[in-house]
Amino acid sequence: MTAALGSEVLTEVVGLAFAFPLPDGRRREVLSSVDLTLARGDLVALAGTNGSGKTTLLRLLTGVLQPDAGVVRFEGRPLRDWRRMDLARRVAVLPQQLDLPVGFRVAELVEMGRAPHARRLFASTEADERAVARALADAGALDLADRFAEELSGGERQRLLVAMALAQEPDLLLLDEPTLHLDLAHQVALLAAIRRLRDQRGLTVLAVLHDLNLAAAFAPRVAILDEGRIVADGPPAEVLTPDLVRRVFGVQVDEALTPDGRRHLALREV
Amino acid sequence: MAPRLRLPSTLLFLVALLLAACRPAASDSASASVQPSISSAPSAAAHTAYPLTLTDDAGQQVTITAAPTRIVSLAPSNTEIVCVLDACDDLVGVTDFDDYPAQVADVTDVVVGAVVDVEKVVAADPELILAAGNGLTASAVIDQLTGLGYPVLSLYPHDLAGVYDDISMVGQAIDANGVADEFVKGLQARANAVATAVAGAERPRTFYEVGVFEGSIYTAGKDSFLASLISLAGAEPITGDPASTAIQLEDLIAADPELILLGDAAYDQTITATSVAARAGWSDITAVKNGHVVVVLDDVVITRPGPRIVDGLEALAKAIHPELFP
Amino acid sequence: MRATATAPATTQAIRTGPSLTRVTVVLGGGAMLVLTAMVVAVAIGSVGVGVGDTVAILGHRLLGLPLARSVAPGAESIIFDVRLPRVLTAMLVGGGLGLAGTVFQALLRNPMADPYIIGTAAGASLGAIAGLMAPILLPALAIGLGSSWLGLGLVQVLAFAGGLGTVLLVYAVSRANGRVPVVTLLLTGYAVSSVLAAGVALLMFFSGQHLGAIFGWLMGSLAAAKWVNLAFAAPLLVISAGLLVVRWRGLNLLLLGDGPAANLGLDVEREKVVLTMLATLATSTVVAISGTIGFVGLVVPHVLRLAIGPDHRLLLPASVLYGAALLAVADLGARVAGGIPVGIVTALIGAPFFIWLLRRSRMVRPVVTQ
Repeated sequence: MTAALGSEVLTEVVGLAFAFPLPDGRRREVLSSVDLTLARGDLVALAGTNGSGKTTLLRLLTGVLQPDAGVVRFEGRPLRDWRRMDLARRVAVLPQQLDLPVGFRVAELVEMGRAPHARRLFASTEADERAVARALADAGALDLADRFAEELSGGERQRLLVAMALAQEPDLLLLDEPTLHLDLAHQVALLAAIRRLRDQRGLTVLAVLHDLNLAAAFAPRVAILDEGRIVADGPPAEVLTPDLVRRVFGVQVDEALTPDGRRHLALREV
Repeated sequence: MAPRLRLPSTLLFLVALLLAACRPAASDSASASVQPSISSAPSAAAHTAYPLTLTDDAGQQVTITAAPTRIVSLAPSNTEIVCVLDACDDLVGVTDFDDYPAQVADVTDVVVGAVVDVEKVVAADPELILAAGNGLTASAVIDQLTGLGYPVLSLYPHDLAGVYDDISMVGQAIDANGVADEFVKGLQARANAVATAVAGAERPRTFYEVGVFEGSIYTAGKDSFLASLISLAGAEPITGDPASTAIQLEDLIAADPELILLGDAAYDQTITATSVAARAGWSDITAVKNGHVVVVLDDVVITRPGPRIVDGLEALAKAIHPELFP
Repeated sequence: MRATATAPATTQAIRTGPSLTRVTVVLGGGAMLVLTAMVVAVAIGSVGVGVGDTVAILGHRLLGLPLARSVAPGAESIIFDVRLPRVLTAMLVGGGLGLAGTVFQALLRNPMADPYIIGTAAGASLGAIAGLMAPILLPALAIGLGSSWLGLGLVQVLAFAGGLGTVLLVYAVSRANGRVPVVTLLLTGYAVSSVLAAGVALLMFFSGQHLGAIFGWLMGSLAAAKWVNLAFAAPLLVISAGLLVVRWRGLNLLLLGDGPAANLGLDVEREKVVLTMLATLATSTVVAISGTIGFVGLVVPHVLRLAIGPDHRLLLPASVLYGAALLAVADLGARVAGGIPVGIVTALIGAPFFIWLLRRSRMVRPVVTQ
């Protein structure tokens, strides 16, 4: 909630509420009143229990879903005032899962991420091709460029999805569980790359992470979503306390200090 | 004559279906006297004046600019008409079904397997095309040929009078009015002779079997040409659905024919009085019980609406009243 | 103000689209194939006309060249009035079906999709058969065999209207909350098609001697090809093909799914409507002039995808060219085989081919799920 003084607000969420319509006519409330502000250059990890609405919140941030109440503003304007194409040039999503059509090479799929910027009717511009290369490099997937999507391992596919999102050259990058299929080394590498992008290019990032320790190591700011609201938002040291973890997740953890003074949440023996 | 093994019986059956299903224009098909109404032929053997505009059986106006010497026929009945008008040598295209008279076998087949080969028609360079009406010659083909500039006469008689009219019309078209008149008069005389002979006789309920396939029974459709022929031949025809010409077995049993004529025996030698009696449900029919089930081999002339139709009438009359036509 | 700084010029570029060579080979080859097929198909028929004569006649009638040699009587009429419109119709129909099939397979994300799948065939068939039987059922309409609207027959007009109308109905019924989920579209199309097919069967039962004509139409045939039908169909097909070919990006994106496509800036629902309507326009036009010819729209996209990949940038124009060539050749086969409906030839070629394709795993799974 607290944005650094003097930095420009990129996305502002005020009083957001959303409920899913159920087949029998009732509605299942997912978000009741969410407030969240992202300034340019923010790197925020979003965590919460299963079903707390994290993915829904991301979809509301891209304008794919319309809220029942509240407003999402991007660069000061409500989302519904934005043209879809203009928004797509600025906001990119790494979804939790994606159907990859068979027969396309990795480079061609990444190029689909250039669609919002496409200018020519049939050919791609040189700028597009350079953007594709850069996206692949940033995602650590340059070596995959000529491979077919269906041949990739889980980790390689994840890097492809990151490259596709980066090809959009977004200002805001929304990541939905980017570490799901990755081993530890790849998790770290990916998050390090994202962090580097934010540091070098001013990319704003909101990442849904389920691993609280990873979130703490990765992001200078953590937000917790519980029962339809943001119940905590701030530096990991303040937010990720055993008390909060017990309240939100119902699990008892101990706080430990590493030799170099960083906090770590440790599970008690199961 | 031996049945034509080359022709699939179902295809011929479809032709018979057409005849059985078509309706006569005149409503008094039951009356014995036949009044031909020749629309445009003069009484003397006058020559046709060209250019000539005729209205064919499909209601189309067709213009013929000069006496045609090259004629294409798209149906066997039309071929026969041309030949009785002594213009057989003018035929440059016929169908592969054409079998009468024998000399047409040498003429190029422009219709093969009921499909009109437009290219062959064009290559034959005709000056007159005689098509079959009511969809037997595909209307798209007639459109195409008309569009290519050929005069196309569609012939589709609903009854005997219609056959006489068609012969006269073709006679006028090819400047053979005298021959046409003679021939039509001959036909009328023979038809009247049949009508006179059966005038006082009993009229048995008669079922003409066109075909029996997979449990469906086909006969003369209600108010069809075939039904009118049977009536003229001195019998009460039992008829089927006007459109599909089918009759349900229960309806046939209820109608209880006194005489059954096996028209399909001409194409299938296994169909006999015995085989009919063996059919499930047929044995109680009066005609079967009394043994009045007659094989008829003249189905072709009975169902082909051409110049030999009166041959068919005579064959029917003979089958129905053998004692009157020794 | 954008935050992303420009990258240093040393970043290399990665070519993503097809190379110029590839485009030339695929599309140029397709065009050559179409031209060759056209000349061959026009040169061969039940009446022999030599290739020299054929080319001379075509040059004379199409390009105004003087007819240097004397050709057999009727040959000119056969070539120009009978065969040429038929071959051109075959190409137009084949191209339209190939294109529509490609679009529907991507749009519906279903490898079994063909141009008729959401009801076009059933609606057009019902319209056409009503048109065939109308002069019987309503004698007032039997104003001669050539009754026509703008030169088109009643059958063509009703078939066209039936095809378009059915898809509009299916689309309207499938809409929920302003969205049209692909699965709903498929299922509704199937349901509506079934109902209309029952209507078709009923009409066929009462059709009497018209059964042959109806069956011929249902199997699909190019025998009734004429210039006036081409004049109606060609502009419609050129327009819909032109508008579809440029929408290749949207089709590629739709393969990713509705959500991701929307995130990439595509107005998903609008694009689905536009694509469906354009492809249906092409299909209805084609069906109106040739009946329901099967397998072309199903097999051509799959074969091309195997050969040149699934990128619609190349796939869409290729499907037009190779579909056209295929049907021209198939129609030639139909003519040589005695004038059988071309739909039988495409079924005889297409069905075994399709079974062979099924055994290749790449066709069976159009997407790899995360």
